[in-house]
Amino acid sequence: MSQMLNTFQQTAHAMLPEINHDERARQEFTKSFKGFIQSGLLPGLTPVYRTRVAKAFERDQGRPPADRRDIRAGMVKDLYFQHYAAANRIAQELLWESTNISIDRQLPDLIEKAKALSAASPAKLDLPEGFETPRYVTALDIHCMPGGYATEVTKDDVAAGVLYDRGVYLYAMGYMGPFNDDMGRSVCNYIRRKLKGFAPKRILDLGCTVGHATLPFKELFPDAEVWGVDVAAPQVRYAHARAAAMGLDVNFAQMNAEKTSFPDGHFDLVVSHILLHETSGKAMPKIFKECARLLAPGGYMIHADLPPFDLMDPFTQFILDNETWYNNEPFWGAMRELDQIQLAKDAGFPSDTIRFDTAPMAVMEFVAEGAGYSEAAADAVADREFVAGEYAPGGGWEVLIAQKAAA
Amino acid sequence: MTHDVIPPERPRVVRDAKGKRPQFYETPGLDQAMSMILVLANELSVLHDRLDSVERVSKAKGIDLPAEIEALVLDQEALEAREAWRQGFLDRLYYLARKDAHEAAQADSDERYTSIIEDIATS
Repeated sequence: MSQMLNTFQQTAHAMLPEINHDERARQEFTKSFKGFIQSGLLPGLTPVYRTRVAKAFERDQGRPPADRRDIRAGMVKDLYFQHYAAANRIAQELLWESTNISIDRQLPDLIEKAKALSAASPAKLDLPEGFETPRYVTALDIHCMPGGYATEVTKDDVAAGVLYDRGVYLYAMGYMGPFNDDMGRSVCNYIRRKLKGFAPKRILDLGCTVGHATLPFKELFPDAEVWGVDVAAPQVRYAHARAAAMGLDVNFAQMNAEKTSFPDGHFDLVVSHILLHETSGKAMPKIFKECARLLAPGGYMIHADLPPFDLMDPFTQFILDNETWYNNEPFWGAMRELDQIQLAKDAGFPSDTIRFDTAPMAVMEFVAEGAGYSEAAADAVADREFVAGEYAPGGGWEVLIAQKAAA
Repeated sequence: MTHDVIPPERPRVVRDAKGKRPQFYETPGLDQAMSMILVLANELSVLHDRLDSVERVSKAKGIDLPAEIEALVLDQEALEAREAWRQGFLDRLYYLARKDAHEAAQADSDERYTSIIEDIATS
């Protein structure tokens, strides 16, 4: 077999459930299936479009497909695309279904474990009474995760956090690293290489979920006060316990990134990772403004998320927009049409400090520390051309960066 | 392969995601059939992994199962047992074809079924 075999394994920590032989095998299959869809089915979409769908569209409409909507209108009628899209959806459903089994089996134990870990941690955990989770998080269960980020089925529930932690590893097929922290590490590496000498004393991670991307900031800046905030209580609760399980003093709070309760100018660095595309058209400008408010003079805002559509050809846009239609990602497409540079300007960041850049994936760093991260497999992930529809296409993360004016 | 029974009073995780599921195929029912096929493929894969584990554990304990399996010569009893299993399996796999043939032999029909409903209701 000439194909590179992905054997990346998530490293166990105290907050992950025990996964028995068959549960693990079931989950591994969903990861393999996703890998197969990406390497075995996705490439066929291009010839199917060129030789069948585009021609049929032109025959019917008297003009070639003009944009991603035209392409989609033609593709949804083609059986090859139907199989591709159905397989993607089923893989996503099986991923959550197979992950939920071990969580359901151990839920009371997991809750008690989280309580004990959090109680023993010196880091702060703030879950205010009467917090209102925004509609853009609760209207649909984003990326088809049953219950979404915020549902609590019992008191002190952490189930949604456990589900997210294990689910992200499967969704990302391990590309995120043995601790799912690749995005945070990539942004940290970016800071280390591109913002030489920048040493933030207070760091805030917005929309942190279980703190995957938050913890690397504490590793890179061990003397800094690091906070992660999220709108979902079970994620925040789990994040605090997970950080404690991994021996890191990182504070977590349930807060809305549009309007946190921190004072003006409190942070030197405000970051987010795959947060913005799960907010809304009204929330996003508010989040940019909140970043500007929270930053001290000279502080940096860095958002790692999706690049805008205007940088891509219509077929690439079409492939990426499948997430909007088939994976409960209502803001995925619309977010890519927003002018994020303008949003940063409107929030008060000086124009000459605002830019898009690429933070290369940190996957090569995982070779030394995670089971299954062979050098060849990690190298194959890191060194790729951009292919729409692949996880982390091109081996890098798009970051929007802006710096607040000095005092 | 342990199966824990979760007590009814215990909180349970959410199983289904909120958000109308799209249908990818024009043929009614095919979306569900495809997902069921993939669930079966998933379980087949689990079984494959488990058998692989059995072989590896055995090897670690000094029994080279893969080699022993290759060297195994089936005697008459074993040949018959396997052939019977396969025929039974194929029969179950094709139970609808079997029923179709049976109905044809009986000259059974939708009309007969409907007429029985009417007949039973009134007799």
